[in-house]
Amino acid sequence: MADYDQRPRGGRGGYNNNRKRRYRDEDDYDRRPQRRRYEEPLVVKVRKQLLAIAESPLKRVEDEVSSIAKTVCDNYEDEELRNAFYDLALQLVVEQPFKIPFVAAVVLIINTIKAEMVTEVLSRAAGRMNEKIREGEWREVKLLMKFLGGLQGILEGDGVWSVLQDLLTKAVDLQTENNEETIGPELVKIILFTIPYIMASSATDAQDKANSMVENTDIIASEPHVLQSLVDPYPGNGTDEAKAPNGVLSLLQKQLQHESTNGWEVACLPRPWKVVLESEQPDALASSPKHPLPSIVIPDVVIAGPRPLFPELYFSVYAHQDVETVPPMTDIASCLLRDSLVDTINILDFNRNATARFLIDIDCYFAPDTFVKRATPFDRLRDVEGDRSTWKPEDVAVDAVFSQLFQLPSPEHKLVYYHSVLTEACKIAPAAIAPSLGRAIRFLYRNVDSMDLELSYIFMDWFAHHLSNFGFTWKWTEWIDDVELSSLNPKKAFIEGSLDKEIRLSFAQRIKGTLPPPYQQLISEEKEKDTPDFKYNDENTPFAPEGAEMLALLKKKAPEDQIQPVIDRIHAQALDMRLADPLVVSTDVYMTTICFIGSKSLSHVLSSIERCKERLLAIGPQSPAARKQIIDSVMSYWKDQPGIGVNIVDKLLNYMILSPGSVIEWAVGQDGKRLSQAFVYEMVGSTIGKVTGRVRQVVRGMSVPTLTPEQRSTLEQTAETERKSMKDLFQLMEEPLVAWATGSKDQAIQSGDGDSNDEAMIRQWGERWLRVFRRKFAVEEAWYLAEKEKQNKRPVVEEVPAGAVENGDAAMAEAEVEV
Amino acid sequence: MPGVIRNTVDRLDKPSAYYQSRNKRRKYDRENEDRDAKEKTPEEPAEDPLKDATTLYVGNLSFYTTEEQIHELFAKCGEIKRLIMGLDRFNKTPCGFCFVEYYTHQDALDCMKYIGGTKLDERIIRTDLDPGFQEGRQYGRGKSGGQVRDEYREEYDEGRGGLGRAIQAERLKEEEEYGKGR
Repeated sequence: MADYDQRPRGGRGGYNNNRKRRYRDEDDYDRRPQRRRYEEPLVVKVRKQLLAIAESPLKRVEDEVSSIAKTVCDNYEDEELRNAFYDLALQLVVEQPFKIPFVAAVVLIINTIKAEMVTEVLSRAAGRMNEKIREGEWREVKLLMKFLGGLQGILEGDGVWSVLQDLLTKAVDLQTENNEETIGPELVKIILFTIPYIMASSATDAQDKANSMVENTDIIASEPHVLQSLVDPYPGNGTDEAKAPNGVLSLLQKQLQHESTNGWEVACLPRPWKVVLESEQPDALASSPKHPLPSIVIPDVVIAGPRPLFPELYFSVYAHQDVETVPPMTDIASCLLRDSLVDTINILDFNRNATARFLIDIDCYFAPDTFVKRATPFDRLRDVEGDRSTWKPEDVAVDAVFSQLFQLPSPEHKLVYYHSVLTEACKIAPAAIAPSLGRAIRFLYRNVDSMDLELSYIFMDWFAHHLSNFGFTWKWTEWIDDVELSSLNPKKAFIEGSLDKEIRLSFAQRIKGTLPPPYQQLISEEKEKDTPDFKYNDENTPFAPEGAEMLALLKKKAPEDQIQPVIDRIHAQALDMRLADPLVVSTDVYMTTICFIGSKSLSHVLSSIERCKERLLAIGPQSPAARKQIIDSVMSYWKDQPGIGVNIVDKLLNYMILSPGSVIEWAVGQDGKRLSQAFVYEMVGSTIGKVTGRVRQVVRGMSVPTLTPEQRSTLEQTAETERKSMKDLFQLMEEPLVAWATGSKDQAIQSGDGDSNDEAMIRQWGERWLRVFRRKFAVEEAWYLAEKEKQNKRPVVEEVPAGAVENGDAAMAEAEVEV
Repeated sequence: MPGVIRNTVDRLDKPSAYYQSRNKRRKYDRENEDRDAKEKTPEEPAEDPLKDATTLYVGNLSFYTTEEQIHELFAKCGEIKRLIMGLDRFNKTPCGFCFVEYYTHQDALDCMKYIGGTKLDERIIRTDLDPGFQEGRQYGRGKSGGQVRDEYREEYDEGRGGLGRAIQAERLKEEEEYGKGR
């Protein structure tokens, strides 16, 4: 965002256009006397110091840790400063996970100077933890546990271990009751991620406890979750490179078991306390007081929190290179780095610049020598001597962003957030990040055939958007051999889809200019035209005279009674020609004309649809075939710029001129080749999204605690109807998709060419579609059940806050908004 | 620390300095009018007009960027309810800004966070939360019909009509007065 703040003074937009004032400003600036140096208050200084802890590679982090601890203790009497420290320390733990070990180290040092402060830190941490456990905010619980784990050395008795034991007991109970539930594994994940932080803490007697804990978690952690196959990014026919990845939980379990046989080295975690306390003042550590851990309670009923939980798989775009640029999956560093990266990325979505900075600076936050020097070129890794690390910090960081982008069923934030993080990282350190992205793109492209269809669409969408931020430059030459492939080939489909997306963000001529010659044929002359031809301008088109007449009438906004005669004439001719459904023919003339009139821009087409709404709305109920013709007309008018067509179809759905079912039938019911086209997938995806979004909206509306019984029952009925139509819609897709996938829709007979290679590819597309939409259906059903359960578990609110009734109405109203 | 939790890094979904300073200026004017009344209630709990904002002002667009391009990018943050192109008051041609309205406040915030400051049509665009479009605001408020910032701009910007229009006019006048090839 800084970009537009840094324009030269006076050039800044229109808000400072008074020239006199502008120049006076500049004069003031020049003459400004050396102002007396402003001493910032200590509390501000400490805040800044703590916020920036470990950020600078130029400062010794141990000195920072000691200095902060000392200042805070020296000024113990300053209440504002003391409280600011408590607040910020915990805030850092839950907002900047990389800094947890450093904040913990500050607390360890404080304990040697002003132990009563630690009591307060512990009490606040435990209080917050209890709150988050009740809310089901499991990520935050995990972060607080990591922090407390880092303090294990100054805790009395079992300390954190007893909390872990309670978590495990709860997880076992939950899993015994029902092994499909997802909270139990989430609790085990917290346990497993806390252990390494305890082992890297100053605690001395932890090994036996860790060993036995890891033994006990095995029963849950090693069992692949039943939902795991649902979220596999590379289903079925994967190559060696891209085969079914491992569940994070079982991977981590194995890695911890390995650590337990290896003396718990946990090499990648930093141990800032060690230098300060062991070497600089060895007796301070032993003699500093120990504290009881305030009680942390796992309630009887635990909830899943705001996000539905799914099993997590370990996804990597760099796992199969000849030189290791990221930790191998056998090394615990792979999970530890990934976990804190992913948390950082997902927590800091409100400032992508900060996120990108963290990604670039990752080597500051882990043990020295975990990585090679930043921006070391891949080819140079071979020269790294002995058993020194070849892990590239850029690769590790970028890999984590991709793991979110490619997260099924969906990541925490909108996909565009992850796009923006990669963009910013690339802007901050182009020389380091760009080559890493290049290798990632090549890996993903190589395996695009076996990738889940939804993910290959996500890949394409990101790729085009990313290039649009960097002048559309890509080494297209390396895929030149694939240009000749059939459009049904997934790689070729990827190329075509990406180019189309690029054009949508830019314009055809511009994109054509970025492509080497063999690709240029993919961007036809028609694509470069702003306004596609009106087919009725050609006399040879059937119904050309009527088309021309319709155009003249709609252009001058003629009343309906002048339009009807033209329609009647078309119908009469169609009957003479023995066409099955005359309405289909007249609809084509009508809709094509609307498209042509509205071809100038989206708002033009919207206003022409608005004017013709009544007639369009009347078509669907008369003839499903004519309704499908509306889509046909739009998509064939915009065949060279299908993105615009998809957009219009989307608006027609909002007007309820089209039904979701008609879109589905158009997309999957007729031509198997459509399944390979990205815009068709996009159209269906957004149609399904509207329908599922509607169900979710209504169901969420039921959670408003202040609904009257009548309101609730109305909502419940609406929810059931909406759910039913959602189910029907998925069902409607199932049959034709199964037919494509099994080859029983005989493409050879339909198209007459009988190319068996094409048939095989269409079967593959059918399988991929089927998988995606079966998953989407399963996810919606799972969401519905989880939401219902949550609503049932939610304690009845006794106190009705002011304005709650209004909110209830608002939710009702919202739920009734048209889709 | 007072009630509101302060994040450890700045948030990108806050209104811009421009919006805030404009508000401050207004508030300052109002305060001058009735200072006494203000002094008694220094912290008026005024309703934040952006609390539920679903509209964004989008700036620094090229004059040639189309609705479709804007739609393509901004739909990545949620379905777009309405898109209003900023037009030159006289020519009715795009003049480099627009309003994008979403269905939800969250989508608008996400757009601030994820799209503001990224490129569209190879220009870094600016987004700002907006209390909502009103008829008339689609027109540039500069003297010559475009945006004010395009009047006195001294840098040449190909995507926004070259030099500032006032400067262009000035140069044209000079050329006419002294003859061409000056």
